[in-house]
Amino acid sequence: MVLDRKIAYVDLSDGSYEIRKIPMAWRKKFLGGRGINMRLLSKSYASIPDPFSPHNPLIFGAGLLSGLPGFGARMNITSRSPESGHLGDSNMGGEFGAELVKTGLSHLVITGKSKKPVYLFIKDGRIDFCDARKLKGLDTIATQKRIRAQRGDPNVQVACIGPAGEALVRFSAIRSGMKSAAGRTGIGAVMGSKNLKAVAVRGTLDIGISKPEEYRKYYLRTLKGVMKTKWLQALGKQGTPVLFRYSNALGFLSVRNNQLVTIGDKGPLLEAEALEPYSTGMVACFGCPVHCRHRISIEKGEYKGTRGEGPEYASIGSLGTKVGHFDLENIIYATQLCNLYGLDTISTGSYMAWAMELYQRGIIDERTTKIPLKWGDGETIVELLDQIAQRRGFGDILAEGSFARGILGEESRNYLLEVKDFPIEMTDERLPKSFALGMATSTRGACHMRSRPSIDAVGLPEAVLEKMYGGRVSERLSSYMGKARMVWWHELLNAVSDSLGVCRFQSVFSSPHGLGHPHFSRLLDLATGLHFTPMEIKRTGERIYTLERLMITGEGISRSEDTLPERYFEEPIPEGPSKGEVVSREEFSRMLDEYYRLHGWDEEGIPKKKTLDRLGLSNEN
Amino acid sequence: MRIKVNKKKCSGCRLCETMCSLFHGRAVNTEKSAIRIEKDDLDTSMNTPFVCRQCKNMACLEGEKVAPDAERRKFIWAGQRSGKCPFRALNLFKGKSYHCDLCGGNPQCVKVCTTGALVVSRPKLASVRLSEVSVEKRGNDEPH
Repeated sequence: MVLDRKIAYVDLSDGSYEIRKIPMAWRKKFLGGRGINMRLLSKSYASIPDPFSPHNPLIFGAGLLSGLPGFGARMNITSRSPESGHLGDSNMGGEFGAELVKTGLSHLVITGKSKKPVYLFIKDGRIDFCDARKLKGLDTIATQKRIRAQRGDPNVQVACIGPAGEALVRFSAIRSGMKSAAGRTGIGAVMGSKNLKAVAVRGTLDIGISKPEEYRKYYLRTLKGVMKTKWLQALGKQGTPVLFRYSNALGFLSVRNNQLVTIGDKGPLLEAEALEPYSTGMVACFGCPVHCRHRISIEKGEYKGTRGEGPEYASIGSLGTKVGHFDLENIIYATQLCNLYGLDTISTGSYMAWAMELYQRGIIDERTTKIPLKWGDGETIVELLDQIAQRRGFGDILAEGSFARGILGEESRNYLLEVKDFPIEMTDERLPKSFALGMATSTRGACHMRSRPSIDAVGLPEAVLEKMYGGRVSERLSSYMGKARMVWWHELLNAVSDSLGVCRFQSVFSSPHGLGHPHFSRLLDLATGLHFTPMEIKRTGERIYTLERLMITGEGISRSEDTLPERYFEEPIPEGPSKGEVVSREEFSRMLDEYYRLHGWDEEGIPKKKTLDRLGLSNEN
Repeated sequence: MRIKVNKKKCSGCRLCETMCSLFHGRAVNTEKSAIRIEKDDLDTSMNTPFVCRQCKNMACLEGEKVAPDAERRKFIWAGQRSGKCPFRALNLFKGKSYHCDLCGGNPQCVKVCTTGALVVSRPKLASVRLSEVSVEKRGNDEPH
């Protein structure tokens, strides 16, 4: 049965493991996936300040509904982040989560450090520690192919690191399949620090469902409703690049490290339609009806032979406009390089853009960089990528991510756009105030996906928004009114969808008709027999989010860290459709007040005792 | 009636496998599905669904003294039949092969295939008459 899935505690130092049941109390309070990951991490978070310490746990957690006919089969990988130094957490799609639950396990807590390179092979609840010396240095695709060949089974699913993770590049990803990545927060480097090259899983066990017939019927009805939305239909045809035109037209792209926010009439070079000549079809994650990933093949020219999946809008922005670059073929190639090396495309582009602005301003020069760092130069981008992944030359400095501020000098700090030591992504949030607040408050540092409050962008009447959110919310992107409520509401929802393994794209994300608390309540009941009212589901999201908040406030993060880069407050957008937009400190402060109030946190953003009592967290941390 | 496959449209989501096993087994196990998606996910991402073609002349039953019509209605078959299918369409797992019984006339895999890679084909010159598979019809309650 779904609720019988277990946790494996793996110690790489002595090659031992122990499998334990997941207490029902945890399931009721934290569901699965991200929620239980946070419960597990919170126990040791405060005592392990060094992300590269063998004691830092690397926690894999599949969503509670992953593996079922559903809406994706996602999972989270959680640890203390080597990139920010704070909470590390990344959500991954693909097949790995679904295969993991078929082994009878839903969570892995990996600690220690292996003396030799090792990979884990998990088959139906048994774990083998396998020699990975011959996998050392292999890229992420070759690693997966080699492990499948060694096991003689093409259905083995592998989550692995590439050369970047082995070299402890602080923004390394854990990768699975052609393109799936637990990309953000550098947890690939945690894996590297443990001498763990890969985790391979193969499961063949039944997943029992509490009310199978009712689940099947409800699923079919829900599927039909969700797939009707224009948003998912567009996503199934064009993938996330469909968002590029919108961001460019409204003016909230990151261009040249957020010095600009639109590429104006050059937009069509990078819009979804530009990708079509390279796309050979759309593919899906396990258990997902949407199929939002392009299969890509470049058939001629300089990058002939490049094949893969993607790129996502985030990669087009990060390895494209953010570094002043509009050559789509080069962006596809650079994205694929990141995937092979096991680098996070968003952070890689962000640190490159930072270095380019430092170079532009003369804060660093060729004495440091050895090569000129010109905006929009494809060769430079590929060369920097190679240098970072291999920790060569200037790349060895950039591989330190936000820690490179200590090397590049005091003035460099002003131009690394970050929140909680984690870089801003492919967008600029001076226009959409909901996104601006979400970036500032996200528990893993600058992240548009922790809340992703974008319903105010689809032109719904305010009466509809008020009904949805339970309070007034302005329909204008640039307005501050009600945006704290939006961020709060979506943070709670996303914490639940991540814990269930449901893809956020199918939840209330860019369509109000997506999956919400009532759907989750029903799915949970039919799949697991756990009864939650929609309100209780919402409270579960609140509990998970507040537990994350407790971890970071416990190490001193509070209101003063819930902020945005100075550029957002001080520099009005210089040109384009969002010209003049800037974040007002006073209004931002008022949004924060409202946001804390909704969460039940005090004016410094510290969860109040009565909130912890109400959520049953008083004894959890 | 049979399930017609257009592999170019297959996204590789494997919802068909999950639904097949859930409908027949009341638990989800993609190993116990009569439809199987073979993936080339580390190279081309091409996905190929394999499912019984409801052949008129059933090579899978060669050498057996059984009534083909009765066999068509069964989901779990003996494992050795798997090797006899020239189309590799009988999924083998732990000594049993899983055969598409068309869910009694209401194929569940088709219902969750959002790309149209799987469609129900009802040929005019029926090589398999609907009446042959509609016995034990169940679950016709979902919207199409």
